Amino acid sequence: MTVPVEYYVLLSLALFCIGLFGVLTRRNALMFLMSVELMLNAATINLIAFAFYHGNLTGQVFALFAMALAAAEVAVGLGIILVLYRNFRDVDVTVPSTMRW
Amino acid sequence: MATAFEFAPAIALFPLAAFVIALAFGKYMPKKGALAGIAATAASLVFSLWAFVTVAGGETYHETLYEWAVGDPTSEAGVQGIEFTFGILLDPLSTLMLVIVSLIALLVHVFSLGYMNAEGETGLPRYYAELGLFTFSMLAFVFADNLLMAFMFFELVGLCSYLLIGFWFRTESAPSAAKKAFLVTRFGDYFFLLGVVAIAATFGTLQFAGPESFVDAAADAIDGEETLFGFGAETWVTITGLLVLGGVIGKSAQFPLHTWLPDAMEGPTTVSALIHAATMVAAGVYLVARMFGYYALSPTALAIIAFVGGFTALFAATMGVVKDDIKQVLAYSTISQYGYMMLGLGVGGYVAGVFHLMNHAFFKALLFLGAGAVIILMHHEQDMWKMGGLKDKAPVTYYTFLAGALALAGIIPFSGFWSKDEILYDAFVLGLEDPVFGVAYAMALLAVFFTGLYTFRMVILTFHGEPRSEAAADPHPVGPSVTFPLATLGVLALVAGVANLAPIAKLTGMDITYLEFWLDGEYGVVDGLTYTAYTETIGYPAGEIVSEQATLLIAAGLGLGLAVAGALTAYVLYSGPEPVRHTEKLGSVYGVLRNNYYQDEYQVWLARNLTLPVARGADRFDQGVIDGVVNGVSSVSLFGGGGVKRLQTGVVTNYAALIMLGFLALLLVFGLHGGWFL
Repeated sequence: MTVPVEYYVLLSLALFCIGLFGVLTRRNALMFLMSVELMLNAATINLIAFAFYHGNLTGQVFALFAMALAAAEVAVGLGIILVLYRNFRDVDVTVPSTMRW
Repeated sequence: MATAFEFAPAIALFPLAAFVIALAFGKYMPKKGALAGIAATAASLVFSLWAFVTVAGGETYHETLYEWAVGDPTSEAGVQGIEFTFGILLDPLSTLMLVIVSLIALLVHVFSLGYMNAEGETGLPRYYAELGLFTFSMLAFVFADNLLMAFMFFELVGLCSYLLIGFWFRTESAPSAAKKAFLVTRFGDYFFLLGVVAIAATFGTLQFAGPESFVDAAADAIDGEETLFGFGAETWVTITGLLVLGGVIGKSAQFPLHTWLPDAMEGPTTVSALIHAATMVAAGVYLVARMFGYYALSPTALAIIAFVGGFTALFAATMGVVKDDIKQVLAYSTISQYGYMMLGLGVGGYVAGVFHLMNHAFFKALLFLGAGAVIILMHHEQDMWKMGGLKDKAPVTYYTFLAGALALAGIIPFSGFWSKDEILYDAFVLGLEDPVFGVAYAMALLAVFFTGLYTFRMVILTFHGEPRSEAAADPHPVGPSVTFPLATLGVLALVAGVANLAPIAKLTGMDITYLEFWLDGEYGVVDGLTYTAYTETIGYPAGEIVSEQATLLIAAGLGLGLAVAGALTAYVLYSGPEPVRHTEKLGSVYGVLRNNYYQDEYQVWLARNLTLPVARGADRFDQGVIDGVVNGVSSVSLFGGGGVKRLQTGVVTNYAALIMLGFLALLLVFGLHGGWFL
């Protein structure tokens, strides 16, 4: 017996909403990064679920790519946060608003 | 064995080299560039004569030297695929003109040694450089084989005249006269440019001669009764011909664009000689002669040419009568004489017009150089009322000037008589048939009287009677560089008429109309560019009284009689030791003539009260509407940008929220559209 695809979609939706909530409410850059990671994984779950549902491996391959990409993205993100901290002595994302116009 | 034609470009390039040399090294040269100019024009003269002799030997030359653009085949008629080229056309007409131009240019350069160098003028390298460039432009204009090349050098001639008229740029009047000359001739040239474009667009070719010429294309279009740009072929030829004529009227100082020429007397007298005799002013009439085949296709254009010419001849001659400045008198005589040439060409007298162009080049160069000599004698005084009595003190100047004056007045046997008589005869026989030409003839005939009057008024006031000033009593001597050109031109003014003794030929039956043979292709010939071909195209009727001989004698008698009458009137009025200012007795007429019929005033009035408001309106439209729209667009986007930029807070959370809201909004829109909630 297999789990129907709807549950996976609901799981993914829940995960995405948690991530979105984090992005919209947190001010800490590290929290931001984690929330973004959650949203990315929500998308990946979707991919795998539908790949399984359709019996097609393409989705799984894409999921692997997305994971690799996420790893790279975290590296870049952490770098940005480090620079942010160095310049502002803080990791609050609302502080560095000097480059707007 | 190299032929003359292989060296044809050199004819024009020598003066160009002189221009460069005088400009670059003139300061360090012994005569400040004069020698380079003299050498170059002498070389041009030699090569021109060589080309002339070669054409006399029965050869002609028509070669494209350089092609600088090729267009798409989109002409209305004629040749498809236009080519813009530089080329050389050496036929009887152009070689004759080359000889005249280079000869006059040489003599003017020589005369300048006495007029400019000896008088210690400053800026001589510039002067000789400009003379060289002027000569180069005119020579290249003369041998141009297509209308566009002719137009380019026509413009260059105008530029050089501007530079030379304004040579004494530190005075107040010279720069203004130069500007006026430039602007007035530019006004005419604007129409010329339109004409060139129209001809190019219509016939796809700008060649003067050969099977691919616009003249042939136009003739074919008229024969085929084609419609060009919505007009009948002949109407269109008339329109384009008249557009080109605009340039001619500006350059050759015909009414109403003649006003620049009297002012151009502000330049050095040598420059006036060059401008009036061989270059600038001659360029206009030469252009009509060059494309005479085209005008021959349009009787309307010819009639307008004839009428403008006849009117200008009389109009300018009357003004010449009241002038006190010796150069002003000559200036008006030039306008008048070019009127005769236009009349001659307009009545189909191609040979007569070119003949007068040639003779006029000699005697007017002579008169201007003579006037230059007088000005040297008089220590730079130009008012004839302060002269007098120079006859005995400067015999060479007097006799050569007298020869020029007799030629100008048209007294037999001087050259001017023969050519003017031929023009008047051609106009007369046509005028007997057609009243329009009759009126033009009558005006020109009346002008003969005034010509005699002002010419001899000038001669008598300048040379006869008692000296009326200290300068006249003790004239400054003139050197051989002054007398040599005068003597050369004096002889030419006397004998040049031999080239075409048409009346004698008609009376005695002798074959001595050499110029007519020359232009009719008895020697070298380019197909279609002959007097016979033109005459056949025009097909004017020729009226006569009793017989051809009788008509000839009547016409010649009338012309000569009036010229002599004018001269005698001048003699009666102004001879004696203390001449009286008779012209002032004319009252209001004197005022009108003295003010040149208020031509300048009305043109200034037109500029002030018509052109200026229009220009101001256009400027306001440009500043207000055009710029207003552009500025409006920029202010709106600037203002809008200023408002919208507030969206960018610099807080990432806000951006994320906006993205999210935007996404939801999109989802909602697509959802509603797709029917989810129904």
